Order: sequence, then C-alpha cells, then structure tokens
Amino acid sequence: MTALVRRALLSDYFVLGLCVLYAAVVVPFTPSFLSVGNGTNILSTLFPLLIVALGQMAVLITGGIDLSATAVIGLTSIVGAMAINDETGWLAGSPLATPSGVVIMLAIGAAVGMFNGLAVARSGMPPFMVTFASMTGFSGLAVWLTHSKAINALPSAFVVLGGRTGVAFGIALAVAGFAHLMLSRSLLGRWLYAVGHNPRAALISGVPVSGVVVSAYVVSGFLAALAAVLYTGQAETGSPVLGQRIFLDIIGATVIGGTSLSGGKGKVLWTVFGVLFLKLVDNSMNLLNLSIFTITMAKGAVILLAACLDSARARLGTP
Amino acid sequence: MKSTLLTLTLACVALLVGCDKSDTPAPAATNGHLTIGVAFETLQTEYWVAGFEAIRADLKQRGDTMLEAVSDSDANRQLEQVKNLITRKVDGIILVPKDAKTCLPMIKAANAANIPVVLFNRPADKSDARSVAIVADNLALTRETVGYLVAEARKAGKKVKAAVLLGDLGDINAVGRRDGFDAAVKGQEDIIDVVARIPTEWNQEKAQAGVVNALQANPDIGLIFSSSDFLFPSIVSALKSVGKYHKTGEPGHVLLGGFDGDATAYQMLKDGYLDATGVQDVYFEAAQSMQAILDLRAGKTVPEVIRDPGFVIHRGNLAEKSAQMWGARVAAKK
Amino acid sequence: MIPALQFDGIEKRFGNVPVLRSVSFQLGAGRTLGLVGENGAGKSTLMNILGGNLAPDAGQIFLHGAPHAPAHPTDAARAGVAFIHQELNLFTNLSIAENLFLTAFPRMGGVLIRRREMLDRAAALLELVGLAADPGAPVERLTPGERQLVEIARALGSDARLIIFDEPTTSLSAREMNALFSLMAKLRARGLAMIYISHILEHVHQLCDDLVVLRDGVVAGQGGVNDFTASRLVSLMVGREVDQLYPRRTSPPTDEPILEVHGVCEPGIVRDISFTLHRGEVLGISGLMGAGRSELARILFGLDPHAEGEVRLNGGSLLGASPRCHIKRGLAFLTEDRRHEGLCLNASIADNLALVSLPHYARPPLGLLDLRRWREAIRGIREAVRLSPQARDTQPVKTLSGGNQQKVVLAKWLLARPAVLILDEPTRGVDVGAKQELYRIILDLADQGTGILVISSEIEELIGICDRIIVMNRGTLCAEFLRPEFDREKLLAAALLKDPSA
Repeated sequence: MTALVRRALLSDYFVLGLCVLYAAVVVPFTPSFLSVGNGTNILSTLFPLLIVALGQMAVLITGGIDLSATAVIGLTSIVGAMAINDETGWLAGSPLATPSGVVIMLAIGAAVGMFNGLAVARSGMPPFMVTFASMTGFSGLAVWLTHSKAINALPSAFVVLGGRTGVAFGIALAVAGFAHLMLSRSLLGRWLYAVGHNPRAALISGVPVSGVVVSAYVVSGFLAALAAVLYTGQAETGSPVLGQRIFLDIIGATVIGGTSLSGGKGKVLWTVFGVLFLKLVDNSMNLLNLSIFTITMAKGAVILLAACLDSARARLGTP
Repeated sequence: MKSTLLTLTLACVALLVGCDKSDTPAPAATNGHLTIGVAFETLQTEYWVAGFEAIRADLKQRGDTMLEAVSDSDANRQLEQVKNLITRKVDGIILVPKDAKTCLPMIKAANAANIPVVLFNRPADKSDARSVAIVADNLALTRETVGYLVAEARKAGKKVKAAVLLGDLGDINAVGRRDGFDAAVKGQEDIIDVVARIPTEWNQEKAQAGVVNALQANPDIGLIFSSSDFLFPSIVSALKSVGKYHKTGEPGHVLLGGFDGDATAYQMLKDGYLDATGVQDVYFEAAQSMQAILDLRAGKTVPEVIRDPGFVIHRGNLAEKSAQMWGARVAAKK
Repeated sequence: MIPALQFDGIEKRFGNVPVLRSVSFQLGAGRTLGLVGENGAGKSTLMNILGGNLAPDAGQIFLHGAPHAPAHPTDAARAGVAFIHQELNLFTNLSIAENLFLTAFPRMGGVLIRRREMLDRAAALLELVGLAADPGAPVERLTPGERQLVEIARALGSDARLIIFDEPTTSLSAREMNALFSLMAKLRARGLAMIYISHILEHVHQLCDDLVVLRDGVVAGQGGVNDFTASRLVSLMVGREVDQLYPRRTSPPTDEPILEVHGVCEPGIVRDISFTLHRGEVLGISGLMGAGRSELARILFGLDPHAEGEVRLNGGSLLGASPRCHIKRGLAFLTEDRRHEGLCLNASIADNLALVSLPHYARPPLGLLDLRRWREAIRGIREAVRLSPQARDTQPVKTLSGGNQQKVVLAKWLLARPAVLILDEPTRGVDVGAKQELYRIILDLADQGTGILVISSEIEELIGICDRIIVMNRGTLCAEFLRPEFDREKLLAAALLKDPSA
C-alpha cells in the first residue's frame, strides 16, 4: 500500500489520475459535464491558460516568478486591437492586418519579458518586486492607452485565431510540444533547471546565469502575449483588463501540476495536467451551480492541497 | 503522513461535491417552469448584489430555476460561463456583461442557440447580435433629482455654488448622468453656479481628493451632486474635515444629491443629511428582464432597450417610497 | 564507577537496510571518547538516537546509570546532552547573550527578561570558554571558531553533562583549533564526559582517552587510544588494508609553464602574488584561514575582481573574463563550499555531472543535446572516479555521502578536460577511504599533464600529494618549499610568521 501510494505520488501522471478520479466523482451530479459541448467549452479556455502557464513555468523553474503575465495579456490585447481594428486601426483593412497584429503583440510581450529579465538579472532585486512593479506599470499603461475602453471590430481572420477551438488547439499543441523538447532535451532547458537549483553553483560551472534568467522572462512574456492573441480572438475584443483576474489560475495550474515555487522543478506534461485539473474543477463547480464565493474558496483549497502534495513529494523523493 | 494525505484528498473531494447537494441543476424545464441562466460580471458592490437577489426572488416567485455564474470581472471566463449555460440548454440568459463589447460573442453564441438574452443594466454596443437591454434612464432620472436640489436652493432664495462628481466617462451610465446634471442646471444660472466638475473614474480616493480640493478653492460650495451613491462616504469625510457636514435645515447645510439608492444613501436620507437621490428600481428591472425573456420566447417583438424610469426619493416621499428603494432593504437586512 | 554513557545493543533499520547492528559500548565518567568511522558507518544515526531525533528499534541507552529514551531533542537537552555540530545552530542576528539563553532567559515575573543578569551570566560563561567578546555583540560579527565557543558556552550554561563534538574543526583556523583543543582539555579536567567525532585521526589521537570504530553499523574496534596505530585505525574503518593513503606519482612534473600569475593585487585581500604552475605539477597553497588562499583562487577563476596583475593560461591572458570564458580556456575550480557552490543538491547525479560540459553535447540550431554521447560520457566518468555503483543517475545528489558528492564535483570538472584544476579543500568532510580515491584521481590527472593547484588546511595532505608548496600569509606569498624540503614545522612557521615581509 505504502509503496503504491508512493509510486502514484511520484508519478508524472499523478495529476492526470486526479483529473480522472475527480471527473468520475462529479459526473453523477452533473450529467452535462461529459457532453461534447461542455468538453469544447472547457478546451477553448484551457488552451490559452495552458500557454501562459507554460511561460510562467519557465520562470518558476529558474526560481523566479512573473507577476506581470496578466498585465502583458491586457497590454498586448489592447495594443493589438488598436493596431488592427477595422474602424480606427493603423492597419485597418490591410490584408496584412492580422499577421502584423500578432507579430506586434508577440514583440511587445517579449519586450516586456526582456525588461523584467534584465531587471531581475542585473539589479539583483527579487523577481517578486520587479515583476510586481512591471505588472502595476504595464497594466496602468494598458488602461491609460484607451482610457479603459475596449475595442472591437477586429478582422475576422484574427477572431478565427482564438475563436476557433481547433486553431487554438493547434497552437497550444505546437507550443507545448516545442516547450517539452526544449526543456527536456536542450542546453537552455538544462540550464534553466540548474539556475533554479543553485544559481551560484551554476555560475561557477560556467552557466551564463544572467542570459538564462533573461530568456526565461522573455519566454514568459512571449507566451503571455500568445495567450492574449487567443483570449482577444475569443472575446472578439481588445481590452486592457483582459486576463487581469487569471493570475491565481496561472500559478494554481502550474503548482497543481507539480512545478515548485522554489525553483528547479517543472515539466510541460505536469503543467498540462495541472491546467486540465484546474479547469475541470472550475467548470464542474459552475455546472453544480455553486456561487462564485464557494468556487473561489474551493479553488484556494485545491491549490493549498497541491502545495501540500508538493512538499509530500519532495519528502518522498529523498528517503 | 501518507494517510493524512489521503484523508486530505478525500476531504477535499467531499467538500467540492458536498457543497451543494440540493441545488443540482434541473435540465430544461418540462412542466412549464423555466431554467434561467444569470451571469453577472461581479458581485462586489451592493448594487449588483441587490440586482442579483431581486432576480433570484423574482424567479423563485415564478417557480423558475436559476443557474448562476459570476465571472469575477474576467471577460473570457464570462464567455466560458455563458457557453456553459448554453450547453445546459437554459431557456433564457440574464447577463451583466463586463463591458459593452466583450459581451458580443456571448450574445452571438446565445443567438445561434436560439436562447434569448437580456442585458441587465448594462447595454451592449451596436452590432448584429440581438439582445434586449433593461437600463435605468440615467439622463431623465438625474435631471429630475438635480431638479429637486435646484428647487430646494431656489426656496432658500440664495445663489449657491455647486460641485458635481462625474463617473468614468467610458461608462455610458456615467455619461447619461453627466448629461442629466447639465440639463437640470441649464437655464438656472441665476441660482446655480457650477464651480467644480470632479472626475472620479469611479474611484473613492479620487472623489475624496477632488472634493477636498474643490472645497479649498471654494469654501462656500452649497450643493454637491454625486453621480453615484457609493461615493458618499468620501464626500462626507471631506465635508466633515472642513466642518460642513450638517443636517438639512441646519445653518451651513450643503445640499446633497446622488444616484443609485444604496443603503448609505438611505441612512443619510433617514438621518436628514441627504436631500435626494435617484433610485434605480432594481425590482422593476428584474421583473422586466424576466418579462422580456417570456415575450421573446413567445415570439413577440420586444424593443431593444427597455427603460427603467426609476424615481427620485427625498424627505417628502421617503416613507411612501422606501419600500421600493433597494438600499432600504439592504439596510434593513443589516 | 557508573559510566557517563552506555549503549546497550542498539539496533536501527531504515526500511530493509540495517544501519546499526547491536552497537554496545560505554563512555567512562570524565573521559573523552573518539568515535570514528567512514561516512555511512552509522555515527550520525547513533548520535541522532542519543539526541532524540530517532528512536532505536532495539536496545537501551543509560545516561549516568539512568535509562535514557528521549522522544524529542528537548528531552535529550534536558537530560544534559549537548551537541556541537559542524553546521552551527546560532541565530546570527541575535546577540551572544541572547543565543546563550534562548531557551532559558532569566525572567522577571515570568515575562520580562532580566537583561543585566543575562549579560552577567553570559560574561561568566564566555570567560569559562576563553572567548574575549562583549556578550551584547551580535553573533554575526564572530568568526566561525568564536561561534563554536559560543555554542560550547551555551552547552555549559544549560548544565550539560555530556558534550558531543561532531566534526568541530571543519571551519576553524589553526589558531582557533588550538583554542578549542585547550578548552576541551580544560573541560576534561573538570570531569566532563565528551564524545569527539572526526575524520582527522591525528586530532582523535591527541584529544581522546578511548576510541570506538564503527564500520557498517557494527563496532569494529574499541579500546584505549594507544592501542590503535594510525594504520590499524584506517584499516578498521575501511575494512581492508589501506597500504598507502597518499598514492605515488608515476611521472614527474614538467617544467613547461601552464598557469602564470604575475603581480596580482586586490586591496585588502591579496598583495603582489606571482607564481607559475607547470604542466603535470601539483602545487599546494598552505596558510591559515584568512590568509587569502580561497580569495586568490576566486580571483584566478574570475569570480572576484582584482585591481592589478596578470594571469596567463597557456600563454593567453585571462584578465577580467567571466568564469564561463575561463572554463572554455581550460580552467576548472572545485570550491571549498561543496553544498552551496559545488552542487545542485536537489538535482540528479547525472545533471550535476553534466553541468560544466553540457555545451559540448549541444547541437545547433536549437541546442538540442546529443543524449547518447551525453550518457556515454556520464557512464565513463562515473567509472573513472569510482562513484558508488549503487547510486542511480536520476537520484538527487544530496542523497550521496560526502565522499561521493565530492567525487561528483570533481567528475563534473573532469568531463570538461581542464588544463588547470584549482582545488580548494578537496577532501573536507570526506572519509578516509574516499580521500585516498580522490588523491589517486588527482595524481593520475597530474600524471597525464594537468596542472593542479591545491589549497588545503591539512598540512599532512599537502605534504602527501604536492610537488611544491607555497605558503600564504596575510595576503602575500611568503615562502616556497620543494618536495625534498617539506617539513611540517617549517610550513607552520611560515604560515604563522608575524611579519610576512621579513
């Protein structure tokens, strides 16, 4: 029994198992949980969350945290919409509006990430403070740009990007696959873990620690912007406050998956399962007609549970 | 430790499932009763809670089932929730959207599923998405409220300096109220002199700082109108700090008017500090929302915008109207 | 006479692995007992049982004749058992006096601390341990050796009747070590019973009355300290004959310079350091703690800045470059702080082994690693350093013993095939068996032509493996000895010289 529990806890598929178990428990109460419509619905919001969570994971692996991810979503959403909307956009009506809009958004995301990364690596300030400041600053900038107004009338090609679940699936699959390859098989991936485990030892061993840290934040900013493309397409609207409230979901999903807040640990597959579990809980509780207060509390409990599991695993991993 | 863990897991699952056994949603109505999805953007102010509860009470009275969803100010989450409601084949959706634009894909999705959508107190932008909005007539109601204040000033027979607190002008409601104020003071320049227009962006700190500044520039301000009642605590504290917070009829009283009809306003009216406020009739709005859904289902033509005329409440009609004032009911519950 | 401490048939298993098997011995009142054994022999487990951190599966402990079965460390402390660890347990932000009375502040009415009384009692204790410091001073201002004295004072202040010293000299300078030893002699004269755990056998011989040797959880030998010669002790610990702790070189050093240091200065740290390291040479740097040895190594490796001077590797200048560039040009640096600077403790053995040489296995454009070559290299280097074969590649490196951890650090540098290897305290906290293996690896490297610069506080070790020893004293080089001139006394004298310029 003990050995079995141990193996289960340490398995990569533990959270997937939890998902299945959870679904099995919930289905009798909410028959529509398993319907095709609900499945697509879960997936359509799962993909963008997965993408931004993968970026966050890269930063968490280095032992940092990127609080500015949500600000990047809002900022890139509104700037993208300002650039390409059919009414007042700088690129309105151009056939290149959609691709250029996406490129602009991704570039801004990467630039914000670069700013965070350089500030963390060069100044030695704690990542929490650096990204907290940039979260405040960039979300303020996003709101200031249009005085809090949202912009719609986006080109239909752009709306398809995020609006069609199939397209979002393709993007998320590509991102997750590439992230998995890079994290598990590439030099940069191994360096991310090393920096997270012990930046001092990594530096002495010749790891370009500053560069690795900067690239983690760039990845986070870039992926947050990519998620913003999907979110904006879904809402058919660019809004400076898009994604403002999803930080708990981002951190929750990565931590539930097993990524450690103290650095050095995290896998793409874990985060995929973490996002899935969080979305299942969220969605099923909606279906159960629970109030927002109950849902928020339950989510908090789930994340706390994940943190307990994390420390339990850490202890099990080292007999 | 491992057993503790197991217990924890089980307890958590039990918690999630056990939270609400009684309220498992019924599938679409069979015996004439309807299932209505109610999706609110937020429940963080008293006004929205009052609206939410009014709808709940109305549905209960009709014997209908309510499926609720609150999106915590997240447009994408609200989209997911509305799609959720559609998946569950609700008979109608009452929606408080995050803003006028992000709700369009939601309305379109409901249109495609042939489910009527009513926007509660927050209209959508013009588009090919079909919905019905129930909104307070901000302009008319504000004009009437400010008109009452002007009449009171005229009774005193002395010219007063006035300040107005404006809302976030990206919000159509705030614009309506500003226009209502302007309409009411137009042509009354002999008795009203508007010396301060304070932008608050619906922010209490900004409101407080704005009022303090205005009172410094013009210590003799005699009339303040706030575009929303929820700013009153800031106004009161600014007035108190310069010793100008007095009851109606006492010397030095500043005429106060507001909009919404919340519990604070009710208390201030009862205590004699507030002169008038324009009340949004949430009970009327709730009943109209449901009526619109029924009419749409019956294939009747329903106007795109249904106006809630609201009413002005003041010392003169407080006893008579307070039962209809949502803030009074909230205050009674407290 | 009742013994101060008696272990009677102590057994302990972790899972299916027996760690202690019927361990029985006693410690006479007022005597000092040396407890020696390799890492993993069961010393720590036994001490954890004595200290209340672990419960034995069988057997009994008697403390001054009374049964001792602590359920918690505080029980053991209350029974008068105190531990002085290698990792110190002081609150550096609090004052010395506050640390001394942390669990038993002299209080007024149960709440308020009587500050005056606390300071007076602290001063008395500090005098007893021979530490001339203000009891109100914060602990962070003290050197490691002084902190250790504070720990001992704390033990004495809580009326300890048995003190266990676990590797107490690890971070002490020679002077501090002598102070510690004379304090221990004083305590022994006062009739205090002590257990002394150390890898440094000459200290054990110097300090202890009796010896117990543990090997694989069994008492492999016990008796009066004079019954054990050094070589017998090592054989008992390792379980086989260790013919020679310091292996022989097979080929002599060349006179081909590889690392040239000219006039390196950094104000307040080092002054005008010049020396040349040759291919295939093992050059030792001796000196006291604080003489600037580790600081010099850090400057050479590019971790710390230097104001003046030049460093050339293979004829090319290394001025001001980052560690990364130094590594590319063939420099390697095993730091003295294995846990914080040498290893990623939570990462796997394989990841630690690969860290330095990883770029060799990356292929453009994405930098994907050639996993096949990588695994081969890891397998090869594991064999070369004889890493414990039971250890799996995926196991976190922190689960290894100190000796195996040090082999991992050394191996990760060897994978990068350095031309010059700087070793700072390479055998600190490593048991005798592993020490010998580390020496063999180091000397094999030198035989193959690698230049080796080794810093050590153990003079015996330097004498054992070096071709040449230079001595540092207060930031300058003050003496140089060739192998035929090696002499313990002369080396010490040079390190202790009052005026190094004389």
